[in-house]
Amino acid sequence: MKASEVPQDNTIDYYEGIKRACYAVNDEGKYVIVPSSGWTEEEFINRLAVDELAVHVEKTRKAVLAGEKSPLAYHMERRQMIPKILGKTAGIAVFRVKRHLRPEIFIKLKDSLLERYAKALAVGTQELKTVPQK
Amino acid sequence: MTTSEITAGGKPFVHYHAAHCETGVTAALFRDRGLEISEPMIFGIGSGIFFGHFPFIKFVGLPITTYRAQPGAIFRKAAKRLDGKFVMRHFRNSGKGMEEMLRVLRSGQIVGLTTNIYWLSYVPNRFRFQFNGHNIVVLREIENGFRVSDPVLDRPMDCSTEDLIRARFARGPLEPRGFMYYPVSVNLRPDIRKACIRGMLDTSNLMLRIPIPIIGIRSIRFLAKRIIKIEQKMGFDEACRQLGMIVRMQEEVGTGGAGFRYMYAAFLQEAADLFGSHDLQTLSQEMTAIGDTWREFAVVVARIIKKRGKQGESFRQAGGLMLICAGKEEELYKNLRNVAGRLKP
Repeated sequence: MKASEVPQDNTIDYYEGIKRACYAVNDEGKYVIVPSSGWTEEEFINRLAVDELAVHVEKTRKAVLAGEKSPLAYHMERRQMIPKILGKTAGIAVFRVKRHLRPEIFIKLKDSLLERYAKALAVGTQELKTVPQK
Repeated sequence: MTTSEITAGGKPFVHYHAAHCETGVTAALFRDRGLEISEPMIFGIGSGIFFGHFPFIKFVGLPITTYRAQPGAIFRKAAKRLDGKFVMRHFRNSGKGMEEMLRVLRSGQIVGLTTNIYWLSYVPNRFRFQFNGHNIVVLREIENGFRVSDPVLDRPMDCSTEDLIRARFARGPLEPRGFMYYPVSVNLRPDIRKACIRGMLDTSNLMLRIPIPIIGIRSIRFLAKRIIKIEQKMGFDEACRQLGMIVRMQEEVGTGGAGFRYMYAAFLQEAADLFGSHDLQTLSQEMTAIGDTWREFAVVVARIIKKRGKQGESFRQAGGLMLICAGKEEELYKNLRNVAGRLKP
């Protein structure tokens, strides 16, 4: 890739103003680092992955509001975790985490346990019991 | 692009914008000790270039494809081959881990850390995935946090203490367990020529000689053939997800473009100047051409997904491009082995 061919597609909202380094050949045939302001093709593919996660979280949020899942499921997915990772982080066995994803069981949890979840997920204890309305 | 900073010891520190986190951090640690070495050089000496496709290891439900050696390997190999003595420590207890890091920082030494990128809130949101292999350099304490130099970003950043603890002691696959490393002594006149040759030979062995189809050239071929048939096998949507993942691994995760192929070409060029070898110069140009083909592959995949496979570009074409890459790369590593074997240390 030549230095002049390094994509500068200015995908600003995507990089949040941060440029990334690309290796490219300059006019004298030497490799140099060229800061790139983004490449639309790459942004497109990354956006698919990010959107897929967002869709998933949104689906879980609706399920929580419908009473099919506990708010813990929403907060876990918002942090891109799975029961295994959450269980390890909070120090709670995976099968218990999975049980706590059911609303009828989650509602009976002790405060001490909720605090551990809140700490692991970096949210407030009160926030953990609810999901945003929209 | 470079930015000046100071470390806890009051020493000046120059932040270099790098393409990849691990090589960037390793180069920064060597530079801080006075050994001027570039990122591609570390990448080449540490045998960073690689290819692997692991259908049975899943990340967010998708098989992992990697264009680089496993996290940590580049640092360890480069440190050994450049004759640098490093302290490497894991911690079970987060309090002890932070204390030890503070102690080292106060002694005026910068520290390399392995972290979870999701919890580093200064990173742009789009790149924050639960990935436990991101490397950063901590420069000094500031109020409520630390000044860190993240080589992938173009300037040093501030990171809060809380974030850093979470990032260092995140759980899950490949957990960092507070991994920190810093040099004790660095040989200021290492045998760079010998280190380069060892790096090149190791690379060509890894890519050519491992007789299983998930590593090296065999793996590129294996994956290419899978891609050609992928649509019939798992349907259009799932096929797109899998291909998207491959391209993300190639272009997004701090590779310097084309899945580290350009960075390796930069290494070959620098080595060619070091040895005064015309052969290495030619290999560098060939590697650039290979990188361009990989880039083309990414473009074709993006078009397939955008146009929902209606016009022109097909999975067959994408797989075909990858087969071309495999053929060219095989040729290149064979030549590299011959050339490196003849170089005089």
